[in-house]
Amino acid sequence: MSDEHGNGRFVAPGTFVLALIFLITFIAVYFLNFKYLSTIWELH
Amino acid sequence: MNEQEFRTCSVTGLKVHLPAEKLIKANTITAVIFIAIGGLAALGAAFTRWPAFHILPAEWFYRVLTAHGLDMLIVWVIFFEVAALYIGSAVLLNSRLAAPTVGWISYFLMLGGAVLTNIMVLSGKADVLFTSYPPLMAHPFYYTGIILFAVGALIGVFLFFATLYKARKEKTYTAQSFPLVTFGLFAAAAIATTTLLHGAGIYIPTLLWSLGLTGMDPSAYRLVWWALGHASQQINVCAMISIWYLIGALSVGMKPINEKLCRTAFVLYILFINVASEHHLLVDPVFSNAHKIWNTGYIMHLAVLASMIHALAVPAGMEVALRKQGYTKGLFEWFKMAPWGNPAFSGAILSIFMFGFLGGITGVTFGTEQINITAHNTWRITGHFHGTVVGGTTMAFMAVTYYILPLIFRREVWAMKLAKIQPWLFGVGITLVSGGMMLAGAYGVPRRHWDIVNFGGSPFAFSWDPTVYMWIGVFGIGAILAALGGIAYVVVTLGTVMYGKKLA
Repeated sequence: MSDEHGNGRFVAPGTFVLALIFLITFIAVYFLNFKYLSTIWELH
Repeated sequence: MNEQEFRTCSVTGLKVHLPAEKLIKANTITAVIFIAIGGLAALGAAFTRWPAFHILPAEWFYRVLTAHGLDMLIVWVIFFEVAALYIGSAVLLNSRLAAPTVGWISYFLMLGGAVLTNIMVLSGKADVLFTSYPPLMAHPFYYTGIILFAVGALIGVFLFFATLYKARKEKTYTAQSFPLVTFGLFAAAAIATTTLLHGAGIYIPTLLWSLGLTGMDPSAYRLVWWALGHASQQINVCAMISIWYLIGALSVGMKPINEKLCRTAFVLYILFINVASEHHLLVDPVFSNAHKIWNTGYIMHLAVLASMIHALAVPAGMEVALRKQGYTKGLFEWFKMAPWGNPAFSGAILSIFMFGFLGGITGVTFGTEQINITAHNTWRITGHFHGTVVGGTTMAFMAVTYYILPLIFRREVWAMKLAKIQPWLFGVGITLVSGGMMLAGAYGVPRRHWDIVNFGGSPFAFSWDPTVYMWIGVFGIGAILAALGGIAYVVVTLGTVMYGKKLA
């Protein structure tokens, strides 16, 4: 990545933040779905 | 090479093979006509699912739902993809199409198949829905139509491969390997080959069954059918991502930040995406848990990894390109200053966001075996795939049309003001459609039932939490907005073809 753009800096910091937002949303949706599942399919 | 058969594009400098151009135009226009038919069917289905209207009787609801599924998931996207394959091979490689006559045979087989299938559905001889699960049986002409369409599409795919071979042999391009867009379309074509062969593998026995010549094993049908039904959507994914790269390059001068990684991600699709079809069978009692968990718990995630790579690579490439243009302030100046007035760009960005946030996240979540038990056959699933196929693929195809019109049809986009708001109307509409479906589905609203209030007078009817009606209202408003966006797309495209100012 850095070779093509001529320096070793982080070339797309905005996209990195967008990717983090995506990852957090992913985790939240996954967690909520398992939480919902646990309410209707309880362990005894 | 006969130079008289070519023109040079004044914008891209690419040599365009004129017989290929005619085929691209025919396939694109036909795709647009079928999205109009599928969209009309969508309105009928939406205003019936919405209890406040409930306009169609049961048999017509299932009829329009079948037509909607087929015309949108198969006919519109595959006609458009065949056009994209000809662009990715003949146009991007400065090559002639290997055999234009074969291209026309492919086109007419697909057209004949699509028309025959639609006639069968709309005349009430194929009320079997898109999946056509046995023991539901349609008229033999319905299956014949689909087989004709699949054979035509397969011929188009082989023509793409032949054109790549010809371009390489005649050295019509200078780079060592194909451009990334062509490589992505190659992945789409590779997946299309296995998908369409599975289609033949399931529809030919089903045709024989409908003629009373053989029996039918419904579980075998489900397994093989989904290797067509889901894998066909993976052709869409590869084509859609190739289009993201193309629009990025044309609109902001984007280059992939790591081309090898992007190519590897396309290879991951070819290798692993087909097993993702298994997630449709997670609650199927016929297949073992080990089979389901291996395919969807492990292998499927290698295809998901590919999507994650592209979802990061495309915006990152755009950011790098825009930062090079001087938009370097803070984290998001590049995003704010991006060419939002270009409907191709705004459509591509909306497609990326809808595919990732609406379709992608929910797809992986619902494809988990435990969660699938609560989501299967509810409206949540329909909401998920409206995020991927409509928000992602259809939006991307609409977006790239705004480049196909000037570059291939050589017409200035007609009604540009309408074109600029079209992606937003459609994008916001589909977001509400998808979100409304998923949130109503979370309360258990079934995926396909005609009447969720009285269940057709069934003794099993029950009352929903009132919140359900609110989410269905959100879905309905979204359907209206998406329909307006769809109408705007058809009007702008056909208007441009007929009345757009001719370009040199």
